[in-house]
Amino acid sequence: MTTTAAVRETLLKRLDGLHQIPTIPSVLAPLLHYLQKPVEQLDVQKVTDMIAQDKSLAAQCLQMANSPLFGRWQKVDSLRAAVIGLGFHRLGDIAMSCGVLNMLPRDCSSINPVAFWEHSLGCALVCRHFARKISFDDPSKAYLAGLLHDLGIIVNLWVLPHEFGAAFELAKTEGIPLHEAEERVLGFTHCESGRLLAERWDLPPDVVEVVSLHHQPRKSESQSALVALVHISDLLCRLSGLNYGYVEERQVSIVEEPGVSVLAQRCPSLKSFDWARLTFELDDYMDEVHTLVHSVYRT
Amino acid sequence: MTTAAVQLANLAEGPPDPELIRIRDLIYQVAGIFHPDNKLRLLNDRCGRRMKERDVKTLRDYLQCLTISPSRQAELMALLNEITIGETCFFRNPPQLDALRQIVIPKMLEVKAKLPFRRLRIWSAGCSTGEEPYTLGMMLLEDGNSRLKDWTIEILATDLNERSLAHAKTALYGSYSTRNLSAYYRQKYFAAAGEQLEVQPAARASISFNRLNLSDDARMTFMKGMDVIFCCNVLIYFDLASKRRVIQHFYNNLLPHGYLFLGHSESLYGVSDDFRLVHLPGTTAYVKAERTRGESHKV
Repeated sequence: MTTTAAVRETLLKRLDGLHQIPTIPSVLAPLLHYLQKPVEQLDVQKVTDMIAQDKSLAAQCLQMANSPLFGRWQKVDSLRAAVIGLGFHRLGDIAMSCGVLNMLPRDCSSINPVAFWEHSLGCALVCRHFARKISFDDPSKAYLAGLLHDLGIIVNLWVLPHEFGAAFELAKTEGIPLHEAEERVLGFTHCESGRLLAERWDLPPDVVEVVSLHHQPRKSESQSALVALVHISDLLCRLSGLNYGYVEERQVSIVEEPGVSVLAQRCPSLKSFDWARLTFELDDYMDEVHTLVHSVYRT
Repeated sequence: MTTAAVQLANLAEGPPDPELIRIRDLIYQVAGIFHPDNKLRLLNDRCGRRMKERDVKTLRDYLQCLTISPSRQAELMALLNEITIGETCFFRNPPQLDALRQIVIPKMLEVKAKLPFRRLRIWSAGCSTGEEPYTLGMMLLEDGNSRLKDWTIEILATDLNERSLAHAKTALYGSYSTRNLSAYYRQKYFAAAGEQLEVQPAARASISFNRLNLSDDARMTFMKGMDVIFCCNVLIYFDLASKRRVIQHFYNNLLPHGYLFLGHSESLYGVSDDFRLVHLPGTTAYVKAERTRGESHKV
């Protein structure tokens, strides 16, 4: 079933009329824009100043910069040290990750915001790890795409909390994927609502494509490899401890997933890939993500 | 502080020791068992015990014991023993057991519903002291009045070690083996026998114990018509050629679409392409894939 024009219209209207959906944090849009420049043109002080404008974001960034997930083993005690130690793009990843957290409603009766953020952050890390393993050309883009792929869930939480709650409950009770439950209850999925927001925020076209097609990788034309990469990573996360807080009661054969053949065209190493090892490696992220998310969420 | 303890303390603060990473990769390559980064402390601890035994001071020297020294084969076996020690207990790997009960068995019942014999055969290959087959027996009894009503369950439990089998047949277990046992199962299927717990006859009825060497080709060919094989932390002791033979036998022993469950973080990568890796909630399994050539492999 596709979204009928009427439902879409209603959704758009509610989205437009809603002012409490946090906009992309004001610091982040210029930061991301700035980080697009070639590295030699970037200035440490400028990046530090940009993040420091938002005190709570700066504090969260610092906390994340000290997690082993971002490759630091020595304590970083200033934003400046974090930029120098981690590099511009790593810090951009971190700032964006905190941005996603800050967009979530603090109280919601359906999906647990902590679990949602764990899934988003976990998926971002898995995308980056997977991208590196198969020599995908842009691991940093993979991180951003993984982080934002479920943007539509944030929209649904703000715009239709009650209806989305019913869909989430159905998914949880029947152990089915969330997008299937949304389709049944709402008549559309977080892919569609996410697309509306992603376009409104003017996110890069490849990220918009991931947000809207990560459950239908075959439909992607312009960004098929990135969409497929996120599709597979998302699936692995949902079947592991990096899910939304419930277990999907099903069996999945990853090699038969449509995304795999799409991705293998870009990354030939996928043809004889050790999927079991990748799955075991995800365990690395679970404990760390859990610890990190809980410590940041309290700040 | 011992050297191993110092290294362990370092591990908590710094990046993992490159020697430890090489030992991790060696074990994965040789035995197919993977230690993700968050389990490296455990591996470090196990190596530490062997290092103490061998009076080796550093991981670098210990890596040499595993790779260059004339006794490397024996040392590797000793380390593998350390790694799997204490693994055996009732309900050792809950996600695997849940997946069997909630997803795999319902699938099988559906496929086999039309057959004249309502029978499921499960093989615990390398059952050690019996905790695994008894766990399976109890768990399946739970569905005896619902899903598995009118079905005959046969659990074949085999091991090479006579002493382990003798212990299994006594069905008496101490507190270590029963540490994961829920109060529900303890009360329903066990009786106190002095300091120990004895498995009740109801939970023993479907299980038969036999001595079997997995390398005994002649006897392996007799193990026919299996629906599910559990072979956890056993193959790690075989070299690649023997491992391939055992897996080939398993393939022939299984019915079409039969399942093979391995131990936690154990992989068939590089051993066999005949099985399809499938992901289940929180665990993985291997499914007998249809052969396109339509013939049975000779061993």
